[in-house]
Amino acid sequence: MYLTKHSSMNQSKNRLYLFLGLFIIYLLLTAATVFAQDATDTEYRPFPGIGSRNAAWIAAQLHLLFGSFILGVPMFAVVIEFVGMKTKDKRYDKMAQEFIKLCMGAFSTTALMGGVLVFILIWCYPKVMNKLSGIFGPTMIFYVILFFGETFTLYLYSYGWDRMQGRVSKMWHLFLGVLLNVFGTAIMFVSNSWLTYQTSPAIMGPKPAHEAIPLHDESGAFIGTLWQAVNNYTWMPVNIHRLIGNIAFGGAIVGAYSAFRFLAAKTKEDKAHYDWMGYTGNFIALCGLIPLPFAGYWLGREIYMFNNTMGINMMGSLFSWLFIIQAVMIGVLFIGANYYLWSGMTRIAGGEVYARFRPYMIAIIVISVAVWMTPRTLIMSPTEQAAMGGPNHPLVGLFGLMTAKNTVVNLIILTTFLSFLFYRRSGKTPTVGWRKAGNIIIAAIFGLAVAAIVTIGIVGFKVNTDFRVNVLTPIQVLVALAVMILVTVIDLIMYRKARSSSEISWGQMTDRSQYVLILLAITFTSLMGLMGYARSGLREAWHIFGVMQDTSPDAHTPLLADAVNMIAVIIVIFFALVGFIFWLGLWGDKKKEGSPPVEAEAATGDD
Amino acid sequence: MQRKLIRIISLILMVVSFIAYIAKAPAFPIASENLLPWSTWFFIFALANIILWQSVVKLLSFSLMVIWFYAFAASVVPETSTATFDPNAIDRTPDTFIEIGEIIFNGKGKCNTCHTLDPSAPKSRCPDLTDIGTHAATRQPGMTAKEYLIESTYEPHKFLVPGYSNIMPPVWKPPISLSEIEIETVIAFLQSQGGEVDITEFEPPVDIGSAEAVVEELPPLLTGDVERGKKVFVEGAKCIACHAVAGVEQPTGQTLDEGVEVVAAPELTDIAGLNSLRYIEESVLLPNAQIVSGYGSVTVKTGGATIQGTLVTQDNEQITVRVKDAAGNEEERTILLSELDPEPIEELTDLTGKGYFWIQVTLADTGATISGDLVEEDDENITLQIGGEPQTISKSNVKVQATLIDFDENVIVGELIEETEDEVTLIVDGEEQIIDTFDIDEGPNYSRAFGKRLVVTSPMPNNFPLLLSVSDMSDLLAYLASLTGATDATAAEEAEATAE
Repeated sequence: MYLTKHSSMNQSKNRLYLFLGLFIIYLLLTAATVFAQDATDTEYRPFPGIGSRNAAWIAAQLHLLFGSFILGVPMFAVVIEFVGMKTKDKRYDKMAQEFIKLCMGAFSTTALMGGVLVFILIWCYPKVMNKLSGIFGPTMIFYVILFFGETFTLYLYSYGWDRMQGRVSKMWHLFLGVLLNVFGTAIMFVSNSWLTYQTSPAIMGPKPAHEAIPLHDESGAFIGTLWQAVNNYTWMPVNIHRLIGNIAFGGAIVGAYSAFRFLAAKTKEDKAHYDWMGYTGNFIALCGLIPLPFAGYWLGREIYMFNNTMGINMMGSLFSWLFIIQAVMIGVLFIGANYYLWSGMTRIAGGEVYARFRPYMIAIIVISVAVWMTPRTLIMSPTEQAAMGGPNHPLVGLFGLMTAKNTVVNLIILTTFLSFLFYRRSGKTPTVGWRKAGNIIIAAIFGLAVAAIVTIGIVGFKVNTDFRVNVLTPIQVLVALAVMILVTVIDLIMYRKARSSSEISWGQMTDRSQYVLILLAITFTSLMGLMGYARSGLREAWHIFGVMQDTSPDAHTPLLADAVNMIAVIIVIFFALVGFIFWLGLWGDKKKEGSPPVEAEAATGDD
Repeated sequence: MQRKLIRIISLILMVVSFIAYIAKAPAFPIASENLLPWSTWFFIFALANIILWQSVVKLLSFSLMVIWFYAFAASVVPETSTATFDPNAIDRTPDTFIEIGEIIFNGKGKCNTCHTLDPSAPKSRCPDLTDIGTHAATRQPGMTAKEYLIESTYEPHKFLVPGYSNIMPPVWKPPISLSEIEIETVIAFLQSQGGEVDITEFEPPVDIGSAEAVVEELPPLLTGDVERGKKVFVEGAKCIACHAVAGVEQPTGQTLDEGVEVVAAPELTDIAGLNSLRYIEESVLLPNAQIVSGYGSVTVKTGGATIQGTLVTQDNEQITVRVKDAAGNEEERTILLSELDPEPIEELTDLTGKGYFWIQVTLADTGATISGDLVEEDDENITLQIGGEPQTISKSNVKVQATLIDFDENVIVGELIEETEDEVTLIVDGEEQIIDTFDIDEGPNYSRAFGKRLVVTSPMPNNFPLLLSVSDMSDLLAYLASLTGATDATAAEEAEATAE
C-alpha cells in the first residue's frame, strides 16, 4: 500500500485547506461585485501596518509563485508518467507521482493566497476592482468554474494514481493529467487577461502598422467588447511567457526540493534517488529556460508596439537598470545550470575527457553574460552625458543594443546545449565506423552556426530595426534551433549502439552541486519577483494605463532597491511556506517507497 | 557546548543583520559615518554560519546569502526616485522643503532631464537653473522671483526664455502629476539656488483638482541625442528628402526606398518653436493625425478618371489639386465637388470619418431616391441637406442593392429581398429573381447608398516606429525638438541680453 497512515492524514489536511481556500475564493468572488458597487465612492482604504500596496504586492507575488509551481509541475509530471508507461519503467511513474504529491501540498496554499489577494484588493482598491469586475465580470465566473474543474481533476489525478494502473486505466489517468493541464492553463490565461488589460487596455490594429486601438473613450468609459478586453495587446505574449516560465520554475523548485533531500539523506539509496530527481528537475528547468528569452523578447517587442514610451521606460529609462539585474540573474541561471551539468560528469567514469573544453565554455558564457548585462541608455543628467561623450558609451554602448544581446543569448544557449551533449556522451564510446567524421561534422555545424550568429549580430548594427527584428533575429534563433535539432539527430544515430564504459553512479554528486540547485531555485524565484515588479511598475501611476489614474498615496514607482528588498521578504516567506508544506507532506512518510535507481541505468540521461 | 553557543549566537546575528539590512537600519556602530553597514554584518555572519553549521542551517545561510546578494546588487545601481510625499508628513520648514524639493527635482518631477544646475554644462533642452533664485526676479518685469517660478511651474508656456522652445509639460498634469505641496517644495529648492527661500503658502494659478480628470498619454522621455537625431533625419529616415531645414543639405546622390516618393512637405526649420513636442511626436508616429494645410495627399474620381495629387486649396464647392504628369511636370487642376463620381457604400457607419460629404439613398418605405449634403450622423440616422432643408433618414429605411457575378460572367444588380445560405432573392428590373448561391462566382456585394467623398491623407510614410530603432526615434525627436528657428549664436546673444 503506497499511502501510509500519516500521509492519509496529511491528505485529509490538504482537503481541508483546499476546501477552505475554495470557499474563500467563491465567497469573495461572488461578493466582489456587490461589495465593490457599494463602495464606488470609496477609492482607497488603507491596509493597516504595511500599507495597501505592500499588502497586495506580498499576497499577489506569493499567489503567483505558488500558482506557477502548481501549474508547471503537472505539465512535466504527465510527460514523465507517459515516459514511464511507454518504457514500462516504474521509477518514472513513482517520480511523477512524487511530483504531484508536492503539487498537492502547494495547491491549497495557492488557493488560500488567492483568497487573501482578492480580499485585499476588494478592501483596499474598491474602485479599481469595480472597474475591472464591470468589464471582466463574466470571466470571473468562468474562472471559478475552471478552478473547480482543476481542483477535482487534480484530486482524481492524484488520489487515483495507485488505483488507475493497467493499460486502459493508465490511459484514462494520463487523460486526467492532460485535462488538469488544460484547466490549469485556462485559469492562468483568464487571470492574465485582467492584469495585462491593466497594462495595455487596447487591441492590436490592422497590419502592417499594428497601431494600438484604445478600448476606452476620452472619459475613460469602456467601449470595447469582453473578448477585446481579454485579447488585449500583451495578453498572448504574457500567456506564452508564463507558460514556459512555469515549467522552468516548477523544475527548479523540484530540483531544490531534491537537493534538500539529497543533503539530508542518510542512505546511499536515498542519495541516489534524490540525485536522479534533482537531475530531472534541473533538466526540466533548462528545457524551460532555453526558450524563455525568446518569449520574453516577444513580450518586450509587443510592449514597444503598444506604447513606444512604455517600451522606452522599460528598456531605456526608468527600468533600464532592472534589466541589468535581470541579466545578472539569468547569467547566474545559465552558469549554474552548466556547472551542475559539469558536476554531473564526475559521477560518470569517462566524463573527464570533456573537462578540457570547460575553460573555453566558461569564457564564452561569462563574456556573453557580461555583454547581456551591458546597459544601453540610462537616465542621465546633461552633465553626465557630456562627461561620457553622449547618451551612450562610444564602445561599450554597442553591447547594450539588442543585436548584441540577441547574439550572446544564442551563444549561451548553444554552449549550454554543448554541455548537455558532453554530459550525454560521458562514459560512452560510439561503435559506428564514421564516428570521427561524425564528430567533425558536429564540430563544423557548431563552428558555422557560431560564425553565422556572430555575423548576423554584426550586420544587425548596420540595418534598420524593422529588418533586424523581423528578419535577422528570427534567423539567429532558427540557426540555434537548427543546430540543436541537427546535432541531436546525428548524435542519437552515432551513439545508438554505443559501448557503455561505465554506469552513472547516481548519488555520487558533490554537495556543492546540490547547493547550485538551490541557487537556481532562489534565482528563478527572485527573477519572477523582479519581473512582476517590472510588469506592474511599467504602468507607472496608473491602475489601468492611460485610463484610470492611481491617486492613492502609493502612486509612485518604488526604487529598484526598495522593490528588491520587498521581493527578498517575499522570497523568504515563500521558501518558509514551501519548506513547511513539504515537511508537512513528508512528515509521516519516512519510510522510503519504490526501488531506487542505484544499479539501474539512468534512462533520463540517455533519452 | 561552547561551540554550540557560538553557532547559535552566529545564527541569531545573521538573522538580525538580514532583517536590519532589509529594513534599512542605520549602520552600526557609527551610523553617521556609515560604518559598518548591515550588508557587511550580514555577509560576515552568513559566511560564519556556512562554515560553522552543517545541513539545514548551512543551507538556510546559503539561501539567505543568495537572496541578499540580489538585493545588494539592486541597491548599488544608480537610479532616480519617483517617490511621493504625504503632505501631512512634510514639516513646513525651509530646510525640509529644500531637501524634498531637490529629491523631486531629480526624481519624480524629472526636471533634471532637461534643466541643468551647472553653468559649465553644455546647452540643454531647457535653461540652466544656476542661481535661478535671483535670476527669476529679472525675467519678467513686475514679477518677483517666487511669482515667476510659480508661473513657470504651473504654466510653463506663458513665458519662454529666448532661445528655448515650448517643450516643458505642466508638471501638475499626468504623467508627472506633482501635487501642490510637491510643487511648493520644488519652488523652494529653486529659490534656494542663490535666492531667498519663502515657503509661505500661495494660491496656485491653476486649479489642479479640476484638471485631475485630464488623461493624456505619456510624453517621451527626451533621452535622445540631437546630433545623432540629425543624422537620422538626414541619412537614416531621409526626412531631408522632403522636409527642408535651413542650413541642412540633402546628401548628393541619396536615393529613397522603393515605393517612397519625394513630395512637398512642410519646412521644419522652426517646427519646435511653433509647436509643442507632443505635436511633433504625433506627427512622426501618426502622420495622418493632423495634416498641414496644403500638404495633404488626395485621390478623387471624376468622370471615371482617378486623379491623385496634393490638395492645395479646398472650399465648399471645389478643390485644387496639384498633380504630376508622366514627364514629372506639375500642374494645378480645379475640380468641382459636384463632379466627383459617387461610390457605392456598403455600410452606413462613420460616414464623416470616411470622408463622405454627399449621400444618395433609396428609401425602403416610399421607394424615393433622395440625395444631399451630409449634415449629421449618429448610430441610427443620417441627416441630409435636401433643397435647403435638413431631412433625417433612418439607416434601416434604405434599400439595399446587391451586385453579383455568376459563372457565366453575367453581372446581376438588384434590390436585396432576402439572403439565405442557399439562395439570394433580388428584384431585378421589377421582377423577383432567385439565385442559387451555388451559381454565384463573385459577390454578392451590397450597397446601401452612394456617396461622394474626399479623403485627405499625409503622404508621409506611417511606419517610422517600425523602421527606426527606439534609440533612433528618441534621437530624432530630440533633434526635432531642437529646431526652434534660432541658431546657437542668436540664442546665446538673446540669452545674454536677457541676463543683462
